[in-house]
Amino acid sequence: MLTHLEVLSTLEMLKNEHLDVRTVTLGISLLDCASDEPARFIDRMSSKIGAVARNLVKVCDRVAVRYGIPIVNKRIAVSPVAVAACSCAPDRMVEVARAMDRAAKGVGVDFIGGFSALVEKGFTRGDHALIEAIPEALAATESVCSSVNVASTRAGINMDAVYLMGKTIKRAAELTRERNGIACAKLCVFANIPEDVPFMAGAFLGVGEPDSVINVGVSGPGVVKKALDRARQANPRLDLGQISEIIKHTAFKVTKVGELIGRRVADDLGVPFGVVDLSLAPTPNVGDSVGEIFQSLGLGSIGVPGTTAALALINDAVKKGGAFASSYVGGLSGAFIPVSEDLNIAESARQGFLSIEKLEAMTSVCSVGLDMIALAGDTSAETLAAIIADEMAIGVINKKTTAARLIPVPGKKAGDKAHFGGLLGEATIIPVSGTDRSGEFISLGGRIPAPTQSLTN
Amino acid sequence: MKKIIISVLGHDRPGIIAAVSEVLFRNGCNIEDVSQSILQTEFAGVFIASLPDTIEAGELSGRLREKLDPMRLSVLLSEVESAGVWEAPLSEPFVITAMGPDRPGLVAGITELLARFGVNISNLKAVFRGGDNPLENTMIYEVDIPLAVDQNLFREALYERGRELGLDVSLQHREIFEAIHRV
Repeated sequence: MLTHLEVLSTLEMLKNEHLDVRTVTLGISLLDCASDEPARFIDRMSSKIGAVARNLVKVCDRVAVRYGIPIVNKRIAVSPVAVAACSCAPDRMVEVARAMDRAAKGVGVDFIGGFSALVEKGFTRGDHALIEAIPEALAATESVCSSVNVASTRAGINMDAVYLMGKTIKRAAELTRERNGIACAKLCVFANIPEDVPFMAGAFLGVGEPDSVINVGVSGPGVVKKALDRARQANPRLDLGQISEIIKHTAFKVTKVGELIGRRVADDLGVPFGVVDLSLAPTPNVGDSVGEIFQSLGLGSIGVPGTTAALALINDAVKKGGAFASSYVGGLSGAFIPVSEDLNIAESARQGFLSIEKLEAMTSVCSVGLDMIALAGDTSAETLAAIIADEMAIGVINKKTTAARLIPVPGKKAGDKAHFGGLLGEATIIPVSGTDRSGEFISLGGRIPAPTQSLTN
Repeated sequence: MKKIIISVLGHDRPGIIAAVSEVLFRNGCNIEDVSQSILQTEFAGVFIASLPDTIEAGELSGRLREKLDPMRLSVLLSEVESAGVWEAPLSEPFVITAMGPDRPGLVAGITELLARFGVNISNLKAVFRGGDNPLENTMIYEVDIPLAVDQNLFREALYERGRELGLDVSLQHREIFEAIHRV
């Protein structure tokens, strides 16, 4: 028998606090599609995606109705294309991306991730071809997302790859100049990329993963904020230990719902269940913001002094609650701080509380990194690469995932607004100090060695 | 051995369950299930017990009355039938919540629809305190929806009924509540 309180508090989470399953992502391995003939690879890939994902949207919709929990996005993540289509030349890689786009649209998903390469220690021919193809592939498609892992704690930082990604981002922005460089919103550069991320743009299916798998991304910044507001209203003397407990409890609930829904979808599709990624992922809707949580913790705005400490508390409490709720928590699991996708964070950046330096500091304790940050269009490839290198270093040294999703908006300068639309939102372009002073360092290239695992000071 | 069901109603006070169970014990009955509920000031209890061959149902009923009448409790005893009764079809558990301003006919309106779809109520808690505060005028139905019922059709009919009654109605799978609140 359920108690009155259990029923009503659950309803409150569903109705007013945006509790939902943010994404159900079907991983599909493309390794068995490999061929030295690009056309054959494309054929095999298209039919495999079509066959495995045929019922994804239908099943998700059915489960969502049955449980009364919205599944907001249905997505596909494939094996890194640089591995699966390793023999393709760059122009063929663009064709692969177009075929991925068609296949995704054919089964009704909004994004397909996996136009990816793992180059932390060096490049294969396929890696080079894929990275060269990224700008055109992302400009020519709607749904394809790309990620490139350029660093890891065990390999160090491939600085040649970092520089190359600086140039790639620049070119991708240029090719989508009329849409504020939107191609860059579909491109993430990673350190320590997890193999089972369900969230875009970093989703891909690692080579150690099964042939197909369901990974679920749950979110719920609104639920966390409301829980904090309620608790602090009921007891204004709550301390940070007690606040952490409330976030933990909330994360537990959200994760349980995600696993329940994910397992049901996986069962109905006849596909194994992989992980729940419990990330506080905002959308540009009021009440669905990570930034607002900081205000609920008593900070005037995200970005002011105290933000990094508060984020550390939030991120850790989210992980603890999630890890207790499910034995299969994976992906990124923590708090996302994508600037343009969160009304409150975007506003804080506009007001100048949130600089790129503060964002970088925050990424040392949050789950991802410099995410959806709009920069001036004349930011050089070298400066972009240097920003990426800094971000990668944080991940590599701290044994955590970090990423950079930077958008040098063509023709715009610091203070201008860049509108990306939909879930990608809009952002004010934030200034970078000391631009064009990193070129010599970046052009040195090579690989920054893997860090020592002892002497941890 | 026969099974009997006993219901006891009256103003709540300490000692009601003790009185009933003492009579059952003295007469060789074995209690299988008991459930009680208190609404405002009133007690309602239901017992299912097995009746030994040494005593007739009517006789036990008399002995219960003897004990409970002075306590101003009413008691009803009947035999549990096993043949020709409704059997639960394969179903899934859901929770229906309806909130909104109080007015006559809310429970009747919702339950008429449930009955029409063959949806069985396994637990119901409703409070109506009047006024417009939805939290003071809430019905929570735990129901079993037969697998054969078209869920979309039922959901739509339920929401439509909610609109007619001025209620904010929701239908959720029970597993969601369990997932969220149970470790």
